[in-house]
Amino acid sequence: MNAFAAQAGTKTPSGDLICRETRGQLVPSLFPVWMLGVVAVVLLLVTTTGCGKTAAASYRLNMVESAKQRLKPEQEQQVATILAALFGTPDDPSAPSECGLDAAKLQLAAGPVRSDIVGRKNGLYREHCAHCHGVSGDGMGPTAAFLNPYPRDYRPGVFKFKSTERADKPTHADLVMVLRNGLAGSSMPSFALLSDAKIDALSEYVKYLSIRGEVELALMRAFFELDDEDQGRLPEDREFLIEEIVLPVAEAWQAAEDALIDVPEMEADIDMAASIAKGKELFYGNKANCVKCHGVTGLGDGQVNDYDDWNKVVLQAHKTVQGGLEQADEASTWDMDADEAVEHRAELAWLDRFQKVLDGNALPPRTIRPRNLRQGIYRGGMRPLDLYYRIHAGINGAPMPAAKGTVPPEDIWHIVNYIRSLPYDFNGTLGVDKPMVARDRL
Amino acid sequence: MSTVEPTSPVVQESSQTSVAPSHGHAVSTAGRLSTFLSTYVFSKDHKVIGLQFLFSTLLWFLVGGLLALAVRWQVAWPWSDVPVLGKLFAQQGGQMAPEFYTMLFTMHATVMIFLVIIPILAGAFGNFLIPLMIGADDMAFPTLNMLSYWFMWPAFFAFGASFFVEGGAASSGWTSYPTLATNVNSSPGSGWGQTLWLVGLTFVGVSSMLGSVNYMTTIILMRAPGMTMFRLPMTIWAMFITAVLQAFALPVLTAAGFMQLADRTIGTGFFSPEGNIVNNAMAGAGGGQPLLWQHLFWFYSHPAVYIMILPAMGMVSDILTTFARKPLFGYRPMVYSVAGIAGLGFIVWGHHMFMSGMNPALGVTFMVSTMMIALPSAVKTFNWLGTIWGGRIQLTTSMLFALSFVSMFIIGGLSGIFMAATPVDIFIHDTYFIVAHFHYVLFAGTAMGVWAAIYFWFPKMFGRTMNEFWGKVHFFLTFVFLNGTFFTMHILGAVGFPRRLADAYHYETFHHLQPLNAFMTYCAIGMVATQIIFAVNFFWSMFYGPVAGRNPWNANTLEWTAPSPPGHGNFDYQPVVYRGPYEYSVPGIEGDHLMQTDPPNRAAAAAAAAAH
Amino acid sequence: MKRFAAVFWSLLFLSVPVLGVATFIVGPAYDIWLPRDVSEHGAAVDGLFYFILALTGVVFIATEMVLFWFIWKYDESKSNGPGRYVHGSHTLEVVWTIIPAAVLLFLAIYQMNTWADVKMRRPNMTPTVEVVGRQFEWRLRYPGRDGMLGTPDDLHLVNDLHLPIDEDILIQLKSMDVLHSFFLPNVRIKQDAVPGMKIPVWFKAREEGVFDIVCAELCGWGHYKMKGRVTFEPREAFDRWLEQKYAEQEATQPSVSDVALASGALPQTNQFANNEP
Repeated sequence: MNAFAAQAGTKTPSGDLICRETRGQLVPSLFPVWMLGVVAVVLLLVTTTGCGKTAAASYRLNMVESAKQRLKPEQEQQVATILAALFGTPDDPSAPSECGLDAAKLQLAAGPVRSDIVGRKNGLYREHCAHCHGVSGDGMGPTAAFLNPYPRDYRPGVFKFKSTERADKPTHADLVMVLRNGLAGSSMPSFALLSDAKIDALSEYVKYLSIRGEVELALMRAFFELDDEDQGRLPEDREFLIEEIVLPVAEAWQAAEDALIDVPEMEADIDMAASIAKGKELFYGNKANCVKCHGVTGLGDGQVNDYDDWNKVVLQAHKTVQGGLEQADEASTWDMDADEAVEHRAELAWLDRFQKVLDGNALPPRTIRPRNLRQGIYRGGMRPLDLYYRIHAGINGAPMPAAKGTVPPEDIWHIVNYIRSLPYDFNGTLGVDKPMVARDRL
Repeated sequence: MSTVEPTSPVVQESSQTSVAPSHGHAVSTAGRLSTFLSTYVFSKDHKVIGLQFLFSTLLWFLVGGLLALAVRWQVAWPWSDVPVLGKLFAQQGGQMAPEFYTMLFTMHATVMIFLVIIPILAGAFGNFLIPLMIGADDMAFPTLNMLSYWFMWPAFFAFGASFFVEGGAASSGWTSYPTLATNVNSSPGSGWGQTLWLVGLTFVGVSSMLGSVNYMTTIILMRAPGMTMFRLPMTIWAMFITAVLQAFALPVLTAAGFMQLADRTIGTGFFSPEGNIVNNAMAGAGGGQPLLWQHLFWFYSHPAVYIMILPAMGMVSDILTTFARKPLFGYRPMVYSVAGIAGLGFIVWGHHMFMSGMNPALGVTFMVSTMMIALPSAVKTFNWLGTIWGGRIQLTTSMLFALSFVSMFIIGGLSGIFMAATPVDIFIHDTYFIVAHFHYVLFAGTAMGVWAAIYFWFPKMFGRTMNEFWGKVHFFLTFVFLNGTFFTMHILGAVGFPRRLADAYHYETFHHLQPLNAFMTYCAIGMVATQIIFAVNFFWSMFYGPVAGRNPWNANTLEWTAPSPPGHGNFDYQPVVYRGPYEYSVPGIEGDHLMQTDPPNRAAAAAAAAAH
Repeated sequence: MKRFAAVFWSLLFLSVPVLGVATFIVGPAYDIWLPRDVSEHGAAVDGLFYFILALTGVVFIATEMVLFWFIWKYDESKSNGPGRYVHGSHTLEVVWTIIPAAVLLFLAIYQMNTWADVKMRRPNMTPTVEVVGRQFEWRLRYPGRDGMLGTPDDLHLVNDLHLPIDEDILIQLKSMDVLHSFFLPNVRIKQDAVPGMKIPVWFKAREEGVFDIVCAELCGWGHYKMKGRVTFEPREAFDRWLEQKYAEQEATQPSVSDVALASGALPQTNQFANNEP
């Protein structure tokens, strides 16, 4: 075998590390040196570029509002600074004591998820909520664009499913209930399998993000009220910030606890069939006018082109930009003097910036469909009590109006009973003992 | 000892892959360009095409490996700051989003299966070796061969582009089950990503079908004189039967792919039940069945897994015999086993669907056929052991990889028996036990076989040998790290640790498994890092490795009679075959082996001389 | 030197059976093994698992040791003569075809009964509960007092499954949207939930306890968080729980604890009572 190898001019299969044959002469092989060099370079590249830690999570400014209010970059910067001073960072949240938030609960919910520690005790929001609701609570986490309906944006401080009057904030119990039960029929899951303390901490953190979001909106809107002498800067003294900006928001939350809707008792021995009949009358009647949106069949097809408040803001913004661009197109720069031309250009620049913000910092508006009442799936809960709340106060942020004032409280119970019978309504005949055919078809 | 002596040299022996057109002619630039293109880019020479496949698949191997590391990172440290990819999630502080994780494991599997393992076995080695080993000058259909490579490029673009479309790449698993894959609202990657995935799949399928037709025709019709079917090396038998598998199974997948594409784009309802609502959006037409896709998909994908191992088995047989200096133990049983695996492979697809909701009675029938398919694999394993028994084993890098193929295939094959047992499958289906099984057969098996083949046929491809020392370092580290990564997956699966979960530790049952997963991820990182050594060795040796002659390993099959690397036409003169493969340590001859082309009188004369 | 290399490599191959067996011994010591089983048929499933483990374990150790031994013994640096010029052995081929075939066939037939028990012999009863998989939760529906599913007295819940012990349970499994899979590790039950199909799942639990429900078929980005809890309890406790939940479902007034919670007071005890803070 060696003879053959020599004849062919090769080495024996085991090769040679140290030297190799070139044109009949033994020369030192540079291979090992070469090899180590390449490996070292690769490792160097990997450690210096790729393995660097990502920066800590940070809050994102409400860019749509900022563009709407025509804030300049330094004004945006001031808002960010004030917010950081008042409310801290996602890893280290804090709140003015006037807000009445529990700092320990906030710490439990905040921060990065420490996955290397089994049984870790913080990072709850980041682990369970942030990828839909966003680190800033803006409803624009990475997953949000693919959900129908979109996750809630806490920043306007508007919440749909609660036990308080329409314009009021939800109570702590309402937030806990949404976390525990989820919102049936949406992508908001039930978190009942978390411990009470965790749910509590997350509810507190949602409140924190909401308060922070409302303060941010108030700050941005406050620029409009400034005099010329303020030179476009908000006052940064505590009195102004707390009294004028934070307290109105915080007090609304604190007032919610005492603003529970007063629910009259439903008679224990109520005649269900009569109640349902009465409810049907009201459903189709003019006072409640449910069929206008929910449709004559109750399938939710009465009106399909409305938007909820969060999507309305974005839709409005789109319309503003569209209208502004059309107007700007029509204006002819020939007839403008120097000042008007400067204004015109500034307007175009602003419209351009607004468009960019809408493309990159807002989700495409989606219509909101009225609930299909034949399915027996109710977002805010299926208890008669929950349905009472929805009808009495409507749904804040959605086109569902409050029946308070138009329908007497006892009559609302009749509507509730009718709605609860709808999924079991078979061939138009009322029958509480008939199976739900439509629902069971699949 | 035999030496091939060229009697009338027909082609130049060169150290590059193909012969440039004759020098000394005044050729225009355009002419030079078109010659360059037809020689190196759109070549019809099977060896160039084989190398094109090799380089492309090795590049995608890197991509698939990096995707795997991202998956392993998330499994070990869920929701922590991911290196490199964390930049995509800067707002969240580097924490991966859950839909991103579903995309990672989907594309890892897709890339590895369709862009690495299948093309490297059939496309790279099949193309390079088949004509050489059967004594032909090229494939039966050279143009078709070239097309089969270039049909891979639209697939490369489709899969590659899918990462950058809105919603990201496909994220319904490489199995792409409806209604997750068919309804565009069910998952971010089920939009453009899934459509591009199906397009890519179609092109890969067409490429494979073109190739398989070529291989079958070449092997049947273009064998050298004297090369009967039962004198073919096992590599060729394996390639032949693999080609048959591809030809019969692929059309089903392609058809299913079109059906799913139709469901997604033009509103048909092959796989969607009536009134299916996902994520508050209606599907298109209904009246279909999700299970239909599963049947069609697995009807191809089960034979596909045999496509992904049989060529490696064949090549390992060749390598083991060469370095054990012994004939293959039980050549005919080995051939029949390969055929048996392929044949049985068409009637076991339901074992992927035991829990799917298909009629449980079918579970019984598929279970029986699945149990039986373990038999030919067992026979092959025993024959490999018989091959090295009593040999003169040379532990080269190639041999080490081939031996580890046998060792690891035993593990992968035995773990399959657990899954074949349907009651046990109730528990281990969709757990890491399954992941362990297929990574053992595909990575610890086929990939080790591929490395063995690369180290073995590298001299024939490039005219130089790879460095043995670094090859052994590569082997040792890969072997250690892969077992650290994948063997522990068996016990992870015994706990019931589910597949495809972005974070499993919030379940009571799996709460305590994070440290083990961290260990496995460290091993996986080591394993991928080790491949740097292989890459450097590969490219360095191509240019600066020690020059190899025609037959550095003293093997006896036909390719080793050709120059290294062979020119157009492969052989100096038409080979004539007088004996079977694996004639090593033949008693009564000079030297320790006889080439397939050695005429019988030479052996007889030597034997006669030795007798006197 | 060459012999040293051969020894080194053969020992590497020896480490495969050694460390392989070690993993299967060390793992269970750290509680990385089959989870606790509380079902009636689970013993048969686990028994089969152990039987196959023993069988494959023996084959694994034997073949890997043979591989090690051959590398050790037949390495070229050790032996002086040429390799054995043997093309095979007909007897051996027959032996090692017949014996594995017989073993495999035995295994196939041996387990058919267990499979039939779990998947084919459905008990004749109305469903105890309907489980509907949905992205990304388990929606549960109990038939209520009238024993029929699909009537107004059904109890609707999410993720919190309660079942009585020592009774046959029949679950009607459906899916609202995509494929899911109802996996109870501690009951050795798994069944895919297919949209458009109604699939029965049955078992009997022998012991009380609270265990996980895991989704075992990729269903989208939230597949990992599709977590449920199954609580096995005696029939009386189960009935009481049903009554309590039904009363909550029919509530027409906010509960006392809800009113107290409105102001952020300490919450009531969580019925899942896990040991987390």
